[in-house]
Amino acid sequence: MATNRWLATGNFFSTYKEEQRIFLTNIDRLTIWSLIAALYAWPLIFQMSNKNMLVIDSILVAVVAVIGLNMVTGFAGLISIGHAAFVGVGAYTAALLAASWGESHAILTHAWPLVILFSGLVGAVIGGFVGLPAMRLKHLYLAIATLSFQMIFTWTINFMTLFNQGQTMPLPRVFWLTGKVVRKDHYFFWYFVILTVIVMSGFAVRNLMRTRYGRCLIAVRDNDRAADAMGMHPGFTKVYAFALAGFFAGMAGAMHAYLFRGAGIESFSLHQSISYLAMAIVGGLGTLSGSFFGPAAIQFLDLQVENLSAWAGTILGSSMNLATALRPLTFGLVIVLFLIFEPRGIANWWRITRSYFKLWPFRY
Amino acid sequence: MRNRRVIIATIVGAVFACVAMTGSAFAGNTYKLAISLAITGPTSDAGNPYSKGVGDYVKYVNDNKILGDDKVDCMIRDDAYKTDVTKRNFEEFLDEGIVLYMNYSTGSTLALKKDFDEEKIAVLPASYHAGNLLDSNYILLPIPSYSSQVIGLAEYVANNHKDGKAKVAMFIHPSAFGRGPVEDLEKAIAAGLNIEIVEVVEHGKDLDNTAMIKRLQSKGVQYVVCHTVQSPVATFIKDAKRLGVSASNFGEAGKMTFLGAHYTGGNDLIALAGDAAENFFWTTGFMLTSVPGEGTDFQLKLAKTYGRDDKLANSHNYTSGIMVAQVAVETIRRALANGKAVTKASLYEELLAMNGDNSYDPKTTTGPVTFSKTDHEGVDKLQLYRASGGVFKGEGAAFVPEYVSKIK
Amino acid sequence: MSYFFQLVVSGMVVGSIYALSALGFVLIYKSSRVLNIAHGQIIAAGAFITYALTVMVGIPLYIAFLLSMIITFFLAMAVERIFLRKLIGEPIISVIMVTIGLMSILDGLIYLTPFGTLNLSFPPFFPTTPISLGGVSISWTQLVGVLVTAVFIGGLSWFFKKSTLGISMRAVSDDQLAAMSVGISVPKVFGLAWALAGMSAAAAGGIIGNITGLNFDTLHAFGILVFPVVILGGLDSIIGAVVAGIIMGLIQQFAAGYLDGNWGLNGTADVLPYIVLLILLLFKPHGLFGTHEIERV
Repeated sequence: MATNRWLATGNFFSTYKEEQRIFLTNIDRLTIWSLIAALYAWPLIFQMSNKNMLVIDSILVAVVAVIGLNMVTGFAGLISIGHAAFVGVGAYTAALLAASWGESHAILTHAWPLVILFSGLVGAVIGGFVGLPAMRLKHLYLAIATLSFQMIFTWTINFMTLFNQGQTMPLPRVFWLTGKVVRKDHYFFWYFVILTVIVMSGFAVRNLMRTRYGRCLIAVRDNDRAADAMGMHPGFTKVYAFALAGFFAGMAGAMHAYLFRGAGIESFSLHQSISYLAMAIVGGLGTLSGSFFGPAAIQFLDLQVENLSAWAGTILGSSMNLATALRPLTFGLVIVLFLIFEPRGIANWWRITRSYFKLWPFRY
Repeated sequence: MRNRRVIIATIVGAVFACVAMTGSAFAGNTYKLAISLAITGPTSDAGNPYSKGVGDYVKYVNDNKILGDDKVDCMIRDDAYKTDVTKRNFEEFLDEGIVLYMNYSTGSTLALKKDFDEEKIAVLPASYHAGNLLDSNYILLPIPSYSSQVIGLAEYVANNHKDGKAKVAMFIHPSAFGRGPVEDLEKAIAAGLNIEIVEVVEHGKDLDNTAMIKRLQSKGVQYVVCHTVQSPVATFIKDAKRLGVSASNFGEAGKMTFLGAHYTGGNDLIALAGDAAENFFWTTGFMLTSVPGEGTDFQLKLAKTYGRDDKLANSHNYTSGIMVAQVAVETIRRALANGKAVTKASLYEELLAMNGDNSYDPKTTTGPVTFSKTDHEGVDKLQLYRASGGVFKGEGAAFVPEYVSKIK
Repeated sequence: MSYFFQLVVSGMVVGSIYALSALGFVLIYKSSRVLNIAHGQIIAAGAFITYALTVMVGIPLYIAFLLSMIITFFLAMAVERIFLRKLIGEPIISVIMVTIGLMSILDGLIYLTPFGTLNLSFPPFFPTTPISLGGVSISWTQLVGVLVTAVFIGGLSWFFKKSTLGISMRAVSDDQLAAMSVGISVPKVFGLAWALAGMSAAAAGGIIGNITGLNFDTLHAFGILVFPVVILGGLDSIIGAVVAGIIMGLIQQFAAGYLDGNWGLNGTADVLPYIVLLILLLFKPHGLFGTHEIERV
């Protein structure tokens, strides 16, 4: 252990335990905590319009969902093309509670953190169940099994009157210490809630990955037979990875439903599943920081492209289809170019930047 | 390098300055409207012409000074049929201070229903789903709901079918959008409408309907009422035509007559199904350019002014877009004429006052638009069209389905 | 009974069209282990090119159909060259993601043309009277679809069995390193696989477009629709695609024919293939004909 707790001048680890510390130096600790403090403080200082706050909130919801996707696809290496369906499971759990107890039931309006947690648990159960084929299936075959779940989920919601046949099932506004959260404060309020969930999940995941329960995921991803030989149970680990993913997705779903004040099937389509996958990959698969960057980048890109096509529309005139075509075109191009030039995602830039500052003024 | 940056910065600055100047040099007020719809993605075949209809009419209003010195600014946004994006757009529109909103899909209209009520903003959706009106005060359907359309078609069948009870099958979209009218039609039957629903078929992405058609035929089905989008209907009627079971005139014995609600028909159906679309009966609340009139002349003129091609000019989705914009602009005009400030509240008031002598006839629809506290369906009359010779021609006069009021 | 036979025949006919659409997936996966999510867009592009050539240029439909296959052959080859060549050796998930991006790009390109939002149909070409035999009938378009599928399968079987190029493709799919060491150009093989896949997609697009009419939404949906077919057959088996296509066609027809309308069920044809797929996969984890990978620690 280096005696300097503020600056690491080199690698002085003498035990594995030291290597697994979350904060290597006090500077790390300080940076992270002040970053979190800043995230909590800025909306109090800067006034945001409802739209921008909604955009930020939906990024945050996507972050929670993508943390889940990263558990299963990033850390455990099991491609999931049905993640939006897991998110949907969470949203519909909350919505079903609202439908069966009545919309203004106290548990939904006052004990909403419990509802979010419960939705996460239901998501975990369903996730584990859907993960069962992972005991036998591998690679793309498994990916398509998750796609099947997506299709079955969509059909079930669309078909059953219990789920209002895919039409929006409403959720109430919630109460907080200050009373009912009204429309004006809605997005502002949920920003803090979702941020708190993210901070907690972030630390939970970071800690999990330091334990054997987290490391076994990576071992199974890298080589499940070797993991088997080392005494892990690959089948069980995969199911457990799906359950974890389902848990985060379920929480994200419940928050999505509260944020958008209802659950409707359009928000949990196959297309959304693919979007989540895009977020995870652009952020950087198998990294925690990637789960934060990915959703932000994709949403930001979407908004910028929207502005671009609106601008193109004013320049070119509406007789051209170019303005509308620009949106999918640019979106696709950015993703493709990104993958060609930075397949390891934004998390890699983050890593490079960090090490640059850590080593400064030396190059390496 | 630095020089180039300076130049770019100057240009950008200059552009912004110009924009700011033109904005301030303009004397009248600007009223903001907005629409979020699927210009790309699912159902963009309808959404795209719809957006152009709205855009062109608003341009026409500004170019011809319909509102005097005042202008209308209509923000048109693509949401690619995603509810979450619609909500985002709607919030942005509210931040911009819109006075009236036009929406598109059924899903997003239902999802935003509560927001419309809280914001007290009148909404004209492109989804004519009857469920939009439940527990909502601010959603106003421009034309009769899908349920009214389907009941209208069923009434036509009941009135024109000879010998006994007509056996009807329904061919619907596998979603709430498709199923909604089925329930209402069942209510109408319970109230005495003289038809029998033999089977309700929800379609998938079918490449072959032979078996289904044979089954329907063996059950003695003579009429198929479709309520979905054009593409599945096209496959269906092509198969029927091939198997020789499609009737060549209404109610031909032993054959099937096809009828459909708003989103099943139009030139798009003919484009997809070719001559299999012959004798397809279609109902909507809009006038078609194949039946010339004052409204259609205006539509064609508008399309010509703004350089639209023939296909778009004759699309009924273009008409629908024009029509909602007409209603929106007319409401603003009335608020101004009555000396009110143009706000969300005053426009909603004006819309609800749009009845009796105050009803508004945009000419692009089959009847006048009437709204009141209890009536949130604008146009009440439906027109039946029949495809013959590759165009939809009017069949009889516009009518109001009787059973709509009986099941309320 | 004739109802039952009709379901069987319709199922097999529809199934072989699925097989034709699935063929492109299998070809690409077999050689380069890429799951091409943008396949539906290529199917749509093929259909639109055929339409443009017939209606706008005025070439007879059957020649346009062949021409469009040739055009998509080079189009798909270009797609591989531009977007995927750079990713050889990258992790499989990045490559899948690139095809997702590709899907967006092709969407954009198609929205640039009027086809993105128009509804169109091919001029009537085949006789409209159906072929009937003992109460069972299929249309000419469908028959042509079956024939085209048969020609493709036959041609490809020959190609893979006999021609040098085909054998080198098989070699690459078997072991890339070994193939390289005997002087086979792996990138060239990848390009060719994409090109062949593009060709089959254009054929599928032409047939499907003839049946459903030309609507971008409907056409590109077939890209996703054939996923269960590909997986059921085994990702890398051409014969598997055919068998699985027919099985899926039958399942859909039987679901629509016997389940829908009974017990309050409806629209089961869209979901049943996936349920059957899940159950079958539990017993055959590599699909019906897929290669069992031998994994070593």
